[in-house]
Amino acid sequence: MLPNASLAPSSMRHLHFSACHYKVSDMIFIPSNAYSRLMPAKKRHRVFPLRASFWDSIKSGFLKDNTTQVIEPPLTTLEEEEPLPQEIVLVENTQPDGTNEQIIFSSGGEVDVYELQALCDKVGWPRRPLTKLAAALKNSFMVATLHSTKKSSDTEGDNQKQLIGMARATSDHAFNATIWDVVVDPSYQGQGLGKALVEQLIRALLQRDIGNITLFADSKVVDFYRNLGFEADPEGIKGMFWYPRY
Amino acid sequence: MYAISLQSFSFHPLSSSNPHNKPKKNRPPLFISTNPSHLNVLHLRDLFFSTNLSCHRFPHLDSHGRVEPVDLHKLRTAVLHSSVVVSVFSRGEFCEGEGRDMETSEFGIGELIRRAVPVSESNGRLVGFGRAVSDCGLTASIYDVAVIPSLQGLGIGHMIVKRIIRFLTSGGIYDIAALCSQKERLFFEACGFKEDSLGSTTMMYTQAAPNCVKDDLLVKCSGRMMLLVPPMRKPVVSNEMIPIDEKGF
Repeated sequence: MLPNASLAPSSMRHLHFSACHYKVSDMIFIPSNAYSRLMPAKKRHRVFPLRASFWDSIKSGFLKDNTTQVIEPPLTTLEEEEPLPQEIVLVENTQPDGTNEQIIFSSGGEVDVYELQALCDKVGWPRRPLTKLAAALKNSFMVATLHSTKKSSDTEGDNQKQLIGMARATSDHAFNATIWDVVVDPSYQGQGLGKALVEQLIRALLQRDIGNITLFADSKVVDFYRNLGFEADPEGIKGMFWYPRY
Repeated sequence: MYAISLQSFSFHPLSSSNPHNKPKKNRPPLFISTNPSHLNVLHLRDLFFSTNLSCHRFPHLDSHGRVEPVDLHKLRTAVLHSSVVVSVFSRGEFCEGEGRDMETSEFGIGELIRRAVPVSESNGRLVGFGRAVSDCGLTASIYDVAVIPSLQGLGIGHMIVKRIIRFLTSGGIYDIAALCSQKERLFFEACGFKEDSLGSTTMMYTQAAPNCVKDDLLVKCSGRMMLLVPPMRKPVVSNEMIPIDEKGF
């Protein structure tokens, strides 16, 4: 059993930093108001709105954008900032007729679930309930999107903005992350856009020192991820899934 | 209630209906809780250290094959951002190296009263743990399931995983994954986990920096891995509708 007073050298840096702001004892316990948010749904009432609020109540206990409810004030200054919403123009080309198309990478922005479902349909993915999809997006560590905006040379014309790619990652914000749902519109594939999406996710994760980055790749895309620096079953590590026996 | 105290110190024979039932006869009184405020992060770090668990999948190992203690601040962050946190407590004397020996304990009134008091997070010692991270809509991943060595093999780990699954399924999450090393695979198989029926391949980011390191390359340390941070690429601007060269990215 490790003596409480001494910490391993790798932790010393954090201890010193935290001691400047509050006592070590504040770090040891999880705030009790975190639990008041954990209310398992009554099993019999599998009512749709109740289930949604069940996860809302869990999430609000750990809300990223509601840290003042859960974490004591001193910690909010230490809690790392959420990945700032950013927009980057990846590709820009202008047609001879003057129309200008930009492909814009964005993270932290709003995603229209209907647009996303249409995109998933285009690549042939099975449909998933929209509320679950919306909840999954809301509670992901990061959602990266690609939009194509077409501006006609005619200043009166409307800009057309279309969702053409998406990727998201879930994480515990410290050690582990899993990348899910990497999708690019078929008519925009082959340009390195999927690669850009995944690289941005990895960059954001590594910046927060989240080192265990995992994904479950369909057999057709294993090479795609291998080229991005992913290794299959490294050191025999495999993902297993729960299959209930009835 | 969210917390259950299992005072079963009974001598049930192995149940034939469920082949995964471990003999309960040596299992001490346990208190299992899903309340994260019952958890003391220092004790959790000690539990991980005693089970040689590093939260990094590719940890530094010393000459004896032992991992470093987990970073306390990161551990707290990880627990705060986990959707399900299961902690198992037991009374000190049932754990190795703690308190008095079972055989020689007195059976006076004081002892009887002490035994009658249920185990709780305040009078018990953390002996087991498990957590899961979920997007609260579609998927979840189970991490860091650990039971102290002296109480392993008694079905406590199975109990922890069952509790996590129950919590997740009651919230509508059925896509539950667990990343396992070779050693952990048997354990999760016994808990009802299998390799993906759709045949997906588990992959992890292990890209290291190339041998000829340029000055502007950034690497991040994760356990014993030095992971390359993908460099930012310049945007591609063109005035004609030409196929974009991959190298532009």
